[in-house]
Amino acid sequence: MKILYFARISEELGKNQEILVIKDKLKINDVINILKSKDEKYNLVFKKISNIKFAINCEYATKNDYITNNDELAIFPPVTGG
Amino acid sequence: MKIYFQKKDFNISKELNNFSKKNKKVGSIISFVGKVRPFNNKKKIESMEIDCYKKMAIYQTKKIIDILISRGGVVDYQVIHRFGKLFPSENIILILVASKHRKEGFFFIEKLIKWFKSKITFWKKEFYLKSSTWLKSQK
Repeated sequence: MKILYFARISEELGKNQEILVIKDKLKINDVINILKSKDEKYNLVFKKISNIKFAINCEYATKNDYITNNDELAIFPPVTGG
Repeated sequence: MKIYFQKKDFNISKELNNFSKKNKKVGSIISFVGKVRPFNNKKKIESMEIDCYKKMAIYQTKKIIDILISRGGVVDYQVIHRFGKLFPSENIILILVASKHRKEGFFFIEKLIKWFKSKITFWKKEFYLKSSTWLKSQK
């Protein structure tokens, strides 16, 4: 799946996207746990998951929603446009 | 009925004139312009960086606009929101709405701005003389 990062999260991770291959569908929360296990940087960024928003294919999602390998997952802080 | 998310600035009077000429049969045209403020909590803003998830921003903007249009009364609209590097007093957003009566127009602008503060994927970072910060959501 394609994972996109924006704003503070992108800045703190030092990247704005990456590819993660998964075999079966997973909950977003499981994807976050996989990312957190990668290194300490991810662990720090995703520590306060309550401050983070998710979207699957441009539709807002929660950490308990399922995602497949063909989806685009966006991870970002609450928006501040306008 | 146009949505533009772009880096370049826009000319307010030119956009308003063109929009007004296009909508001759309405009773109301309302415009809203959001700008980069010079200060935030007494801190002088040197510049602003706006990040954007363009594909989702377009999708979410269309989504709320479809809901607002379905209420009736709004005949036409134009939305421009900028991203990238901006400086104090520069334009960030322009919303134009043509409606049968002013009430639907004001309602449209108020609701759309609320979505820009809660759902539409833009993020502002302010740069001060010796520091910078991503703004927190106000809703």
